[in-house]
Amino acid sequence: MKSLKIIKTLITLLVVSTFIMSCGNKTVATKMENDKNVDSNVSNKAKFIVGFDAEYPPYGYITDDGSYEGFDLDLAKEICERTGMEFVAQPIDWDSKDLELNSGNIDCIWNGFTVTGRENDYTWSVPYVDNSIVLVVKANSEINKKSDLAGKVVMAQAGSSALTALEDESDTATFELAKSFKSLEQCPDYNNGFMSLESGMIDCLAVDIGVAKYKLNNSNGIFRQLDEKLSNEQYAVGFKKGNTELRDKVQSTLFEMYKDGTFMNIANNYKDFSLPEMVCLGEYVK
Amino acid sequence: MANLNNIIIQIIGGAGASLIIFFSTLIISLPLGLLITFPRMSKFKPLSAFFVFIISLLRGTPLMLQLIVWYYGPYYLFGWTLGLSWRVPAIIIGFSINYAAYFAEIFRSGIQSIPIGQYEAASVLGYNKSQTFCKIIFPQMVKRVIPPVTNEIITLVKDTSLAFVITYSEMFTVAKQIAAAKTTIIPLFVAGLFYYVFNYIVAFVMDKVEKSFNYYR
Repeated sequence: MKSLKIIKTLITLLVVSTFIMSCGNKTVATKMENDKNVDSNVSNKAKFIVGFDAEYPPYGYITDDGSYEGFDLDLAKEICERTGMEFVAQPIDWDSKDLELNSGNIDCIWNGFTVTGRENDYTWSVPYVDNSIVLVVKANSEINKKSDLAGKVVMAQAGSSALTALEDESDTATFELAKSFKSLEQCPDYNNGFMSLESGMIDCLAVDIGVAKYKLNNSNGIFRQLDEKLSNEQYAVGFKKGNTELRDKVQSTLFEMYKDGTFMNIANNYKDFSLPEMVCLGEYVK
Repeated sequence: MANLNNIIIQIIGGAGASLIIFFSTLIISLPLGLLITFPRMSKFKPLSAFFVFIISLLRGTPLMLQLIVWYYGPYYLFGWTLGLSWRVPAIIIGFSINYAAYFAEIFRSGIQSIPIGQYEAASVLGYNKSQTFCKIIFPQMVKRVIPPVTNEIITLVKDTSLAFVITYSEMFTVAKQIAAAKTTIIPLFVAGLFYYVFNYIVAFVMDKVEKSFNYYR
């Protein structure tokens, strides 16, 4: 009986010590890895980490082969080539964008990022794209104008500018419109919103024009866009408040790219989304 | 401080939405799990093989994917337009069936842990099959499966946050939205505290239940 107890104690000790040792090893290993990373940082060029939502075509999205592509990422890549920085595309959870930016995990938010309503929250570049929020319904829907939406179920992406616009009490006209809905629902991403619309869960989706065009061009006439728009808005690059140094560097490079035609060349790659028509950088180039 | 009160009030609203999922799932999945256990343990091979497959499917695919299938499936597979009122039923069906699969396996382990001698003794005493199960096996099985069932219930509390994948705004979604709107991470910690307190209550209640079954010790 006694020897059994001793064996038990020994086994327990063995298990506990193995566990502690393995933990210790891990910490050492991680630390070494970190040190390595620091070294490589020092030897390589400065990184430019762009935070973006990977479910937001055409600005930033995941391609068939798993890489990240998009208008904003192309622009950022070009800027890095011209300024000698190392380009890093960092997909983020859109709801956590401020945490990522403020903690320094990303250098900027660049992903069809709407200025309206956030003017004082970030250090902004000048707007480069004019985007509007439009209302999309099913092609066979009886909704033709804003006033038809009374008593209907409308959806917008959580944390999106469309939702902000509909919930903004200071914008009386839009807020009154939102109050006339049967309910205002939220979806985690736009694909989910379009699935809800197609399957008849909701009557109307409030969505940015670029995304609406992309979906309308790729869905064989299932959806239709209302002529009346919900709002007009502009996109810019958002930097951590006070980081004017990086902002100026990026912005002047953008101007340079606009002047030599590179900017519009990149925009023309996204003709399907009517991006060239939406570019408004020309008004600000100095 | 008024700000924090606001955050807490909004999160409580979301907590209600989470609790609806939690209680409905619990009430449906526990009996459903027991119901699945019997065919799963059936001596008729095709029947048990079928349920082994169903359980492996439910445990082997993400609950998130199952929710999407339950919610959008009726339209994309059959063309039925069910409207937004289908959302809560879809969530409860998805969660209940998924958790029933886990509970079924837990119950099976409980039933199979009862020594064969007890069946023999019951048979000698003249108990028939259903009497043996209801009066002898089942009460002991319940005692033995309480710790693993508690594990699952606690997981269920936290899994309710998956419901946002089909646009249902439960507690964690609300917290994330406030965090994004107010540019502060405090709502996330408040939500974390809510989950912890609720799970503490769950663990406390289950501990009481477990002790109340300890009548032979």
